[in-house]
Amino acid sequence: MDKIARINMGAAGGPKVTVEGLGEYAGLGGRAMTSLVIAKEVHPLCHPLGAENKLVIAPGMLSGTTGSMTGRLSVGCKSPLTGTIKESNAGGQAAQVLARLGYAAVILEGKPEGDDLYKILINKDGIQVIVDNSLKELDNYPVIEKLRKEYGDKVAYMSIGTAGERKLLAASIACTDPELRPTRHCGRGGVGAVMGAKRVKAIILDDAGMKMRPPKDPEKYRDANRKFVEGLRKHPVTGEGLPAYGTNVLTNVLNEAGGYPTYNFKTGQFAGGANISGEAQAELEVKRGGTATHGCHRGCVIQCSGIYNDKDGHYLTKQPEYETVWSHGGHCGIDDLDTIARLDFMDDNIGVDTIEMGVTIGVAMDAGIIEFGDKEGAIRLMEEVGKGTPLGRILGSGAAVTGKVYGVERVPVVKDQALPAYDPRPIQGIGVTYATSTQGADHTAGYAIATNILKVGGDVDPLKTEGQIELSRNLQIATAAIDSTGMCLFIAFAIMDQPETFQALLDMLGSFHGITMTGDDVVALGKKVLSAERDFNTRAGFSKQHDRLPRFFYTEPIAPHNQTFMMKDEELDDVFNW
Amino acid sequence: MEAPLTRLILTLPASLIGEFYPLLQRGFLVTAHVGCTLQRLLCHQWGIAPEYLTTRITTIFLNAKAIDDVASAVVRDGATIALSGAMPGLVGATMRRGGHLAAMRSSMTHQETATGAIDRIGTVRLKLFNILLPELGPEFLKRGLLMSCDEVTAFFRERDETFWKACDGAVLNGTPVGSGLLQSTNPLCTGGTVRLTVNFR
Repeated sequence: MDKIARINMGAAGGPKVTVEGLGEYAGLGGRAMTSLVIAKEVHPLCHPLGAENKLVIAPGMLSGTTGSMTGRLSVGCKSPLTGTIKESNAGGQAAQVLARLGYAAVILEGKPEGDDLYKILINKDGIQVIVDNSLKELDNYPVIEKLRKEYGDKVAYMSIGTAGERKLLAASIACTDPELRPTRHCGRGGVGAVMGAKRVKAIILDDAGMKMRPPKDPEKYRDANRKFVEGLRKHPVTGEGLPAYGTNVLTNVLNEAGGYPTYNFKTGQFAGGANISGEAQAELEVKRGGTATHGCHRGCVIQCSGIYNDKDGHYLTKQPEYETVWSHGGHCGIDDLDTIARLDFMDDNIGVDTIEMGVTIGVAMDAGIIEFGDKEGAIRLMEEVGKGTPLGRILGSGAAVTGKVYGVERVPVVKDQALPAYDPRPIQGIGVTYATSTQGADHTAGYAIATNILKVGGDVDPLKTEGQIELSRNLQIATAAIDSTGMCLFIAFAIMDQPETFQALLDMLGSFHGITMTGDDVVALGKKVLSAERDFNTRAGFSKQHDRLPRFFYTEPIAPHNQTFMMKDEELDDVFNW
Repeated sequence: MEAPLTRLILTLPASLIGEFYPLLQRGFLVTAHVGCTLQRLLCHQWGIAPEYLTTRITTIFLNAKAIDDVASAVVRDGATIALSGAMPGLVGATMRRGGHLAAMRSSMTHQETATGAIDRIGTVRLKLFNILLPELGPEFLKRGLLMSCDEVTAFFRERDETFWKACDGAVLNGTPVGSGLLQSTNPLCTGGTVRLTVNFR
């Protein structure tokens, strides 16, 4: 990964490709790469769908190697949904292939005149930008099916569906999984709309003739990777819970905790929760000849995904994640896994973020467009998005827009991005992260990374209230660093609980790049990324008043704990003081 | 007049344990000596090994409140207890007993006051989640779950061909009965409580 490709889609005479060295971006990957490029090169007041915005695609620091769990791909831009800087990442095969092709980043710049639609082929011979108007108005599954006929099955694809072409604010970018299904999405923030604005429909990544990236110290890297894998396999979350039930294993627990937002955040428990739990989902998947254990990219040892078949045993979609099952399920009062699976397929196919779409449909239910629990109605609304009708365009523009158009007061968004599946009233600490994240409401912005081992900002007394601010700060710093490595966030549990596994991760990074890496280096990287993102947002017009939850979280207690969000504004303002 | 307790015993192949996961997740009533600590209930009354409690049951809710200290939390009559293994996600980690991130959910953490805890025989509702379903489920099924007649009837109504092929009958109030009775539209009980016991072979 010693080069950056810049593709100026708006160049005179047609798109122009320039390949250059890493320069000041040397040593960066993933979120560090996308955010530092955007912060430095994009005008913070630009229109996100205009020529001044850039779409940065970056594999992680260890992507393309033999290391396990290294397949996350980051995509960054100024978000059309939030107006802030945005990094959205996904699994799938794209990061591994792009890294093996030697690109630390591919940056889409400018905006073409006219109506042509492009595909970009990246292989060992270079980069071609090709007009292909036959892909127009196709959704992700048909796009990939068509491209496979031309480019085969030994490549990785990235694509946008019709939502991206229409520049809808909830539009995602799909990455294909090992079976070449467009199931892994850079979902949050409308990154698909930015790709659509640049008129790029698909990117074909072909690493034929390329080799795995070689580590500086192969023996040490192999040994560190072995220890890292051992740590993942022996941990009860990464070695048992996630492989058996996937992320949806959280439904029962969150529901029991009273932190499961139901009926558009009106109550914290859903009576139908057990019907859509990960345990129920896994049983059904296996019974129908699918699987509850499947990796989203080669080299994954956690295998938290699965294959969800319909009643007749035919593939319907990949295993819907916890967030999807919640957003289309409990949030909308729907307790039917088949309906949720169908909606998940539609999200992937049309190319929209499942959290944003599910929350939006819940807001639409609150507006009275359909009733809570109306399964067929929810599917009809998604069909509207797929067809691009006026109603569909409103819904596809997310919860904030839909709430404004229909005069809904209870709209669960921060910086116009929909809240994920954890109510911040009983779990106040996550509310701090939702409010203050540089990305808008995001449950992965402050993940359960090993802050206890890193001791970011010193030791925290978890029994004190102010510990929540400290914890959120530390988690956001650590997460920004992990997002830069290209490692899947689910490694968090093993590295949090097992110091030797955390050390193995540091040794992987160190031996690959020929450096000695410490916890302090990880913290410094995280702070550097967050500082750049905060600086961009400030220049884009965001202030501390934007670091707040919607007012209803402060005024409406939620059952069963009858809590409101109680963190004081001045406490929230302290999160980024370091 | 209160309906009598119906006793129903099934003997099934071990491969059918998954059929009971929905019941175990939704929760079932068990008779217990209440007014004691959660640790005493789990380890002394239900026979769960202390080491298993420490290493496997890492997330516990008592009446929807997260538990950090099983040695001080007191179980009262009518309580709901949910047991889970370690969970993914930030919030999953937050819910862990005594975890580093416990402060993030301090407003829904159980605080024991020890008031109103009467030492007596009562009932508690127990829910089992995720990795604990196959590990603890068979033992609780063997001891017997207290369910309403409607719940039991609904359970049998929802079973498919796989279940009925493997079920060659039951013992109802001490009398052997064929699986046809369990599938029939005639209710095997009319109101009241059923103690459903399942032995796996």
